[in-house]
Amino acid sequence: MKCPICGRETIDGGYCKFHEGARQVVIRKYEKWRKAMGISWKEYLSKIAKNPLTGEWAKEVALYLLEEENKKNVKNG
Amino acid sequence: MGKYTLIITEKPDTARRIASALDQDQNEKGTNEKGVPYYLARRDTDIVVVPALGHLYTVSAEKKGSSSYPVFNYKWVPRFVAERRARHVRKWLDVIMKLSKNADRFVDACDYDMEGSVIGYCILKYACGGMEKASRRMKFSTLAEEELEKAYVESLPHLDFALIEAGKTRHEVDWLYGINLSRALTFAAKNWSGKYRTLSTGRVQGPLLKFLVSRENTARSFVPTPYWQIKAKLQMNGQIFTAEFANQAIETWKEAYTLSTECKGRGQIEKVTVKRFQQPAPVPFDLGALQVEAYSLFGYDLKKTLDAAQGLYLDALISYPRTSSQKLPPRIGFKSILKSLGSTIEYKGLTAHLLAKTVLKPHEGSREDPAHPAIYPTGKLPRPFLNKSERNIWDIIVRRFMAAFGEPAIGQSTKADITINGNVFCLRGRQTIQQGWQQFYAPYVNSEETLLPPLNKGQPVDFKKVIVEDRFTRPPPRYNPSSLLQKMEEVGIGTKATRADSIQTLYKRRYVRNERMTVTDLGFEVLEVLKSHCQQVVSVEMTKELEDRINRIGQNSEKREDILADAIRILKPVLKELKQKELRIGERLSNAFEKTRLEESVIGACPSCKTGKLLVIYSRKTGKRFVGCTNYFTGLCKTSFALPQRGTIRLNGGKCSACGWPTLQVRMRGKTCVLCFNPDCASKEGKRRDQN
Repeated sequence: MKCPICGRETIDGGYCKFHEGARQVVIRKYEKWRKAMGISWKEYLSKIAKNPLTGEWAKEVALYLLEEENKKNVKNG
Repeated sequence: MGKYTLIITEKPDTARRIASALDQDQNEKGTNEKGVPYYLARRDTDIVVVPALGHLYTVSAEKKGSSSYPVFNYKWVPRFVAERRARHVRKWLDVIMKLSKNADRFVDACDYDMEGSVIGYCILKYACGGMEKASRRMKFSTLAEEELEKAYVESLPHLDFALIEAGKTRHEVDWLYGINLSRALTFAAKNWSGKYRTLSTGRVQGPLLKFLVSRENTARSFVPTPYWQIKAKLQMNGQIFTAEFANQAIETWKEAYTLSTECKGRGQIEKVTVKRFQQPAPVPFDLGALQVEAYSLFGYDLKKTLDAAQGLYLDALISYPRTSSQKLPPRIGFKSILKSLGSTIEYKGLTAHLLAKTVLKPHEGSREDPAHPAIYPTGKLPRPFLNKSERNIWDIIVRRFMAAFGEPAIGQSTKADITINGNVFCLRGRQTIQQGWQQFYAPYVNSEETLLPPLNKGQPVDFKKVIVEDRFTRPPPRYNPSSLLQKMEEVGIGTKATRADSIQTLYKRRYVRNERMTVTDLGFEVLEVLKSHCQQVVSVEMTKELEDRINRIGQNSEKREDILADAIRILKPVLKELKQKELRIGERLSNAFEKTRLEESVIGACPSCKTGKLLVIYSRKTGKRFVGCTNYFTGLCKTSFALPQRGTIRLNGGKCSACGWPTLQVRMRGKTCVLCFNPDCASKEGKRRDQN
C-alpha cells in the first residue's frame, strides 16, 4: 500500500511512517486548540494548514484530512 | 653541502618560519626542486627544512584496482597511489626521499597533535627509509622565533609513538567503515539505476545524520499551539514603559480578553525586587568555541574561521588553533604579550589597564589539551594587509584573551510587581553596574540596558493601554553548522580537526541543504537504510565509545589490534545483509536521489495553478531553456517563462522586491545579476515603456 499523501510505503495500510507521525501530532493538538479557541475540527485543520509555523508533513496531513472532510460533506449532501 | 639535519614540517609556510628562526643570521635560503620548496639554514650544523602538504600517505586497499566490497585488507600508501587528484604528491615525495639520503639527523616538526604526528611518522618511515625511530620531535604551539628555537634546542628524543598509534588507528577504522559502507550504498544505487553517484557514510557521518533527521522529523510534524500574552503600556514620570502580565502565557482566548478588559485605569506598585548578579569573565577560545563565536558574530562558516585562524597561525600572530584547551599557562608570558599588543592604538588603553594589575590570572575553562594551550595572540602585530575575515578573527582572539584577565561584570536587575484589579503585571529593568571584562570584549558584548525610574511600593501607575498579543509555540530550530558542531562537541563525536569537514560532507553528498540544515529525501533514505540494516553505525554511543577507545591508545591503555578486529567483526554481518538486499536498497536510494535533485531545481510555487512547482527546464527538442511548471507533464498547467539563453543560471532562493516572485541568479561574462522572470513585474515597467 502507498501513502495517500506522498506515495511512500505505508505502515499497516494507512499512511507512511512520516505522515502517520504527523497525523498523530495533528490529532493530539486539536484538544488544545479547541480549549483555547473553541473551534471545530474542520476550522482547526484549516487554521493549522495556513499557519506558517506548522511543519510540512503536518500541513500536508491537515490539507488531506480537510479534503476528506469536504468529500464526506458532499456525499452526505 | 655535506651531511645535514633534515627537519620535516606539515606545511610550506611553517618550513620557512622554522628555517628563519633556526638560521644563525635569520637569513634562510629558499630553494625548490620540481616545484617543491625547501629551506637551508646554518647554525652549528647545516639544516634543511622540507615541508609536507598535509597527509602524503593514506590508507588504501591492499589489492589495487578492485572496487568491490567487503574489503578488510589495507596498507599505507603514498596518496598519489590511492587518489587520482593527488598526482602532485609523487614529486613531493621524490624530493623528500632525495633530501633524506644525505641527512644524518632527522627532526619531526609537524603540528603536535594526532594528525601532525601521523603525517611526520609516515614520511620518516616510508620516505626517509625507516628513520621514524631515529628522529627527534619538536613541540611548539606558536611559530614565534623564540619558541621555535627553544623547541629545536630542547627537542624530544623520540616521536610520540602512542599518539601515532592512536592516529593511525583512527584513520584505519574510519577507512574500514567509510569504504565498505559507502561502497555498499553507492553500488546498490548504481546497480539499480545504472548511474554512478557517490553516496557515503561513515563512523561520524551516520550519527550526524541521525541528529539532523530527528530534529527534522520534529520540525516537519510540528503543530503550533496558540496562546496569548498581555502587555500594558504604563505611564510613570511622564515616560511610557511596557510591563508584561505576570502569568506570561494565557491558554485561552476568552481568558485573555476578559483580563484585558479588567486591566484599565490606575494600578499601584506592590513590590520592588532589586538583585545584583555577576557575570564571570569568558574563558579563552578553543577551536570549537572560536568557530561558534565567529559564526554568531560574523556569520562565518566553520571552514572559513578555521582557514582564517590557520592563516594567522602561519603568520605567527596566534598560537596553534586546532586545540581543545581552555587553559592559558603562565609560561606563554602574559605580560610580554600584553605589552606588545599595547603598542597598537586599538588595544593600548585596555592592555595598560591589565598591566597595572599586580597579578595576571586568566579565567580558564575545564577543558584541557595535552598538546596545546587555548588559542592566544603571540604578541606579534599583524601586517596591514590582513583580509577582513583574518582581521575579525584576530580581533576576537585578542579581545577574548584580554577579557579572560578581566574582573567579573556586575549587573543589576529590577522587577516591579504592579497590581490592577487583582491582576499582577511585571515591569523589568536591567543595567550594568560594573563593566569588568566587558570593556575588553566591548564591540561583541550584547548587553541591552533597560533603565527604570525610581520605583516605590504603593506608588500609583497609570495603565495607558492594554494589548493582547496572539502567539503560537514555535518548533525547535533546525541545526545550523555552528549548533551542530556544538552538539558534536557535547556528545564527543569526531575530532576538533575533522568536525567541520564531516559537516561539509553532508552538504556535498546532498543529504542536507540550506544554512538552517534541512534534511533532503536522500538524507532521510540513507539514514533509513543504515537504521534498518546497521543500527550500530548510526549509534552515537558506539561512535563515542570508539572515540574513547582510540584516545586510550594514546595513553597506552588500549590495543590497536583489538579495535580494528572489533570494527571488522561489526562490519562483516552488516555488509552481508546490505549485499543481500542490494536491489531493494538501490531502488530506494535512487528514487530519493532523483527526488532530491528535482527539489533542488525547484524555483518556487507556480503562480498560475498554485499546486505545481516552477523548474528550469531544458527542451530536448530545441535545446533551449525556460521556466516551466511541473504540472505541465500531467497536462494541468502550461505556464512557462522565457529565460536568457546565455550565461549560467543558479537558484538564489531570493524574491523580487517589486512583485514577490522568486528570482534567479544569472552569471554572464563575469558579471552576476538577479533576474525576475515575471514578464508583468512592476520593476520592468520602465523598460516596457521604452520599448513602446
